[in-house]
Amino acid sequence: MIDIAVRIIVYGAVVGGIWALVASGFSLIFGVARILNFAHGIFFILAAYLGIVLAKSGVNPYLATLISILFVGGFAVAIYTGLLARIKEHEVMVIIVTLAIALLVEQILIIIFGEHGISYPALISGVLRIGKTPITYKRILAFVVAVVVLALLELFIHKTRTGKMIMASSQNYEGALLVGINVDRIFIITMFLSAVLAGIGGVLYTQVFAASPAASLKALIFAFAIVILGGLGSIKGSIVAAFIIGYIITITNQFLGAQWAEFAALLVIIAILVFKPTGLFGVEE
Amino acid sequence: MMRKVLILVLLAVLVFGCAQEEKKPEATPTPKPAATETPKPTPTPEKTATPPPFGGKKEVVIGVIGPMALPEGTAEKNAAMLAAKEINAQGGILGLKVRVVVGDTKLKPDEATKEFRRLATEEKADMITGGFSSGIMSAMMEVMAETKTVFLADASSPAHPAMVAKEYDKYKYWFRISQNNGSTFAWDLAEMIDYLRDQGVTVNKVYIIRDEHVWTDAVMKGLTPLLEERNIEIVGDEKVPRGYTEYEQLLLDAQDKGADLIMPILAIAGTGDVLAKQWAELQIPALLAGHDLAAIDAGFYEKTGGAANYYIFLADGGVLVTAPPTEMAAKFVEAYKKEYGHYPESHQAYGAYDAVYIYKMAVEAAYKAGEKNPFDPDVVVKYLEKYKPGNPAKLTRNVAFHKNHALVWGDDYVRNWIAQWQDGKQYIIYPSTVANGQLKLPPWI
Amino acid sequence: MRAEMLKTDFKKLILGIVFLVVFAAAPAFLPEAYVYLVGMMFLFLILVISWDVIVGYTGQVNLGHTVFVGLGAYTAALMQVPSRFEGSVDFLAGMPQAPIPVSILAGGIVAGFFGLAIGIITLRLKGFYFSLVTAILPLVFLKSVFVFSDIFGGEEGFSIGLERSLAGDVTLRYYYAFVIFLISFVIIYFIVNSRIGLRFRAVRDDEDLAESIGVNVVRYKILSFVISSFFAGIGGAAIVHYRITIGPDLYDIPLMLLIILSAVIGGLGTLYGPLFGGIVIYLMKSWWLRSLLPSIPEWLPINDDVILYAILIAVGVLAPEGIWGRVREMLRERAEAESPQST
Repeated sequence: MIDIAVRIIVYGAVVGGIWALVASGFSLIFGVARILNFAHGIFFILAAYLGIVLAKSGVNPYLATLISILFVGGFAVAIYTGLLARIKEHEVMVIIVTLAIALLVEQILIIIFGEHGISYPALISGVLRIGKTPITYKRILAFVVAVVVLALLELFIHKTRTGKMIMASSQNYEGALLVGINVDRIFIITMFLSAVLAGIGGVLYTQVFAASPAASLKALIFAFAIVILGGLGSIKGSIVAAFIIGYIITITNQFLGAQWAEFAALLVIIAILVFKPTGLFGVEE
Repeated sequence: MMRKVLILVLLAVLVFGCAQEEKKPEATPTPKPAATETPKPTPTPEKTATPPPFGGKKEVVIGVIGPMALPEGTAEKNAAMLAAKEINAQGGILGLKVRVVVGDTKLKPDEATKEFRRLATEEKADMITGGFSSGIMSAMMEVMAETKTVFLADASSPAHPAMVAKEYDKYKYWFRISQNNGSTFAWDLAEMIDYLRDQGVTVNKVYIIRDEHVWTDAVMKGLTPLLEERNIEIVGDEKVPRGYTEYEQLLLDAQDKGADLIMPILAIAGTGDVLAKQWAELQIPALLAGHDLAAIDAGFYEKTGGAANYYIFLADGGVLVTAPPTEMAAKFVEAYKKEYGHYPESHQAYGAYDAVYIYKMAVEAAYKAGEKNPFDPDVVVKYLEKYKPGNPAKLTRNVAFHKNHALVWGDDYVRNWIAQWQDGKQYIIYPSTVANGQLKLPPWI
Repeated sequence: MRAEMLKTDFKKLILGIVFLVVFAAAPAFLPEAYVYLVGMMFLFLILVISWDVIVGYTGQVNLGHTVFVGLGAYTAALMQVPSRFEGSVDFLAGMPQAPIPVSILAGGIVAGFFGLAIGIITLRLKGFYFSLVTAILPLVFLKSVFVFSDIFGGEEGFSIGLERSLAGDVTLRYYYAFVIFLISFVIIYFIVNSRIGLRFRAVRDDEDLAESIGVNVVRYKILSFVISSFFAGIGGAAIVHYRITIGPDLYDIPLMLLIILSAVIGGLGTLYGPLFGGIVIYLMKSWWLRSLLPSIPEWLPINDDVILYAILIAVGVLAPEGIWGRVREMLRERAEAESPQST
C-alpha cells in the first residue's frame, strides 16, 4: 500500500511537471493575446517528431532536441503572423481555424510516420529504486527539467523588461498600447514562448512514453483541463492545477484504466466551465 | 435568379460528369517480363491464344483494404501487389491482367465500409483481401454481403465464421486467410505456458495486458478455463486503447501482485515496443510472454533498441522470416525484401499474398471444370471451399478452410508458432518439429 | 411589395423544382456506387441545415453539433441491437427491436432531450463561452464510447445488420434518404420562416432589443437549440440505418469541421447556402477528392482530409462570412451597378 502511495506521488509529480509546461504555454498565449489555441498540442508533438528524425539521422540527441524546440517556436510564430493575427478579433473563428490546423498537422504526421508511436532517443538511461518503486532516470530528468524551466519562466516574466511587458499586455491591452508597448511584437514573443514550452513538454513526454500523432489531442485535452482549473491566463494557477490533474491522471490510470484519465479531465473542464464560467477568465463578458 | 438555376444545373452536370468519367487504372503493378525467380505454386495457367470473353471481362481487379497508416495495412498492400506482379509476369489469370486497387480503412468503421463499397462497386473488384481489426471486419461483412464480393479476409474474432455458419447464403463470400480464429490463440497461449513449465519456469500467476477491442474478448473466453485447468491465477486483466504508452504502472502493478508471467494480448494497441522497453528498463521480475503482433515485425528489435531481447511471442499467421514453413514462404520473404527493401512488416503479408494466389487457383480450377463464368463470386466460393482439411492449398502456408470458412489450425496447416527474440533474431522455440532455437531467460529473473 | 414577394417565392419554387427533378432522376443516370454516395449526402445535408438553425438563424455558434448526431445515431443503433446492454443495463437488454421509423424518431427525440438539458445549462453562457463549452462537449461523448465500450463498441463501433437498413436495395435506400431529407428540410423551412423563426432572428440580431420587445431570449435560444439537436439526431439515426454501422466518427471533430466548412462556404442563415455548401463539400470529400488523390505523388503527405482542412483554414482566414455569401454580395453589387435606377 505504501509502495502504491509512493508510486502515485512520484509518478504523478512527473506527469504533472510535464503537463505544467504544456499548460503554461497554452495559458500564456490566451492570457496575453486572448487566443484560445486548439492547435497547441501540435507544438508538443511536432517537437518530439522532429527531434526523433534529427537524432535518427545522426544529429547529437541534445542538439536535435534544441533545434526541434526552437523550430516549433518559429512554426508557431509563422502560424500566428500568417493566420491567427488576421482573425484574432473573431474568437469563434480562432477556435475553428486552430482546430483545423491541429487536425491537418495530425493527418500529415499519420501519413508520414504512421499511427503507431515511436520513442524518443534516450537522453539518459538507468533506474533509481525507492523501496520497491523503480524510477527511471528519464522520469527524474523530466521532472527536473520541468521544474527548472517553470522557474526560469517565472523569473523571465517578473524580472525582465520583455517579461514585464508581456504581463502588462495580458493585464491591460489598451493600457499597454497607451504606454507605447509594441503589442504585436509582444504577441509574437508570447506565441514563440508558448510553443517552446509545449515543445519541451513534448520532448520530455516522449522520452518517458512515445510519440504518436494522437498524443497531440491528448496534450490539448490535458492542457485545457489544467488551464481551466487553474484559471485561464494565470501561470501560477496552471502550475498548481497541472499537479492536481497529474495526480488525477495517475490515480485514474492506476485504479480505473487508461481511457478514464482523459474522460475525467474532460469532465473537469465541462464542470468548471458550466458552474464557474465567469471570473475564471478574469474578465466579465 | 437565372444564375442560381445555372449554378444548380452546373452542379448537376458536374455530378453526372464525374460519374461517367472513366476511371484511370491506378497503381497497376507494371509486369516486368523477365522475372526469373517468381514462384510457380499453381499449375501453369491455360495458355489460350485469345483470352476467352467471360462476358467481355478485360482485367481481374484485386482489392486490398486495410489501415494504410499501420504496418498491417501496408504489408497487405505490398504483398498483394507483389503477387499480382508475379502473376502478370506469367500471363495473368486466365490470360487477364491483374490490377490491384487499394482502400484505406483508417481503422474506422465508416471509412472501411465506404472504401469497401468503393472497391466493390466503383472499381468492380473481383476479390478483396485484407481488413485488419475484428470490429471493423463485422461492419465490412455487411457491405460484402450486399455487394456479393469474394472477401479473403484478415481479423480473428470467431464471430465472423459464426456468421458464415449461421447465414451461409448471405456471408459465404467471406473466408479467413490471414490467421487462425481468436480461440486458437487461447490454445497456443496455454501451450506456451505448458512449454515454459516443461523448461522449468514457474508460472502460477499471470498478468494480462490486452487490446480493448472485441477480438481479445474471444481470446479471453477461451483462455480463462484453460488457465484454470492449469491452476494458474489471473492476477490482472487490463485493457488498453490504441496507442497506449503508459505501461510502467501496469508493469509495476503486475510486480506488486506477484505475477511470474506478464502476458500481452496485443494487436491494435500497436505499442508493444514501448511495453518491451519499459519492461526491460524496469527489469520487472516476470517473463514477458504472450501474443503481440508488433513483435512479429522483423524490425521490432531495432525499434526497441534491443529491449525486446527475451520477449516471447506467437508467430501469428504461421510464418516467421527466420523459419519459413514452406518453400513458397521462403521465396516470398526474399522477393518481398528485394522489392521493398525490408522483410514483411507484419504477418498480414502472408495472408494477402496467399489470397491472390488462392483466388487464381480457384478461378482456374473453375475454368478447367467448365464453369461458364469462373469469375462469378458464387462459383469462386464453390472452388475455394475445395481447399478443406485433407486438401490444403500449398502456399506460403498450407491453407485450408473449415465449413464455416475459418482457417484450419494445426501443425500441418497454419498455427501460431511460439517464438522468442534473442540477440536481434527471432527463433521458433516450440513445437520442436519446427523449432530452430531454444528458450533463453532474461538474467534478471 | 406583395408582387415582389410572389416573385421571390416563384424563384424559389423553380429552384426547388430543378433540385427535386435533378435528384429524383439521379439514380437513373448514376452508377450504383454514386447513388449510394449521393444518398448519404442527403443525410449529411440534414446535419448542415439543422446546424444552421441554431447558428445561422439564432446566432449561437454551437461547435458541438456532432454530440447530437452521435446521440441520435447511438440511440438508433442500440435500439436495433439491445443485446449490447447485457451485463451493464440489463433491463434495456430485453427491449424488442424497434421498427426503423421508430428508431429514427427516437434518435431525434433523445438528441432533442439532451439538447434541452445541455441548452438549459450552456445557453446561459454568452457568445464565446457557449462556443467554448460546446467545442469540448463532443470530446466528452467521444470518450464515453471508449470508456463504456461494452455498450458502445469502442473505436470499432458495431453493425446493426443489413436487414435493419432503410432498404436492402441501394436505389430504394437512396429514395428513403431523399425523402427523410425533404421532410426535414420542409419542416425546418417552415419553422425558420414562421413567427418563431422571426424571433430567432431577433435574438440573433440584437439580444437586448429582442428582450425589450418582449421576446424571452433564453427560451427562444433553447427552443432553437432543441430543434437543431432534434434534427441532428434524426440525421444521425438515419445515417446508421443507411450505412448499417455505427462508430465514434459520428461524434468526432472531423465531422463537425465538415459541417462547419459546408455552412461557412455556403453562407449561414439562409438554408439554401448551407445546402449548396453541403452538396459541394460532401461530394468533394467522398468523390472528387478521392478520384483526384491517385494523381498526387506519393511522397507528398497529402490526403483528402488534409485538403479539406486546408480549405477550411483558408476560408476561415480569408472569407469568414462565407464564400457563397460573398459571391452573392458581389453579384448583387454588380446588378446594382448595372441598373442604378432600381433600388
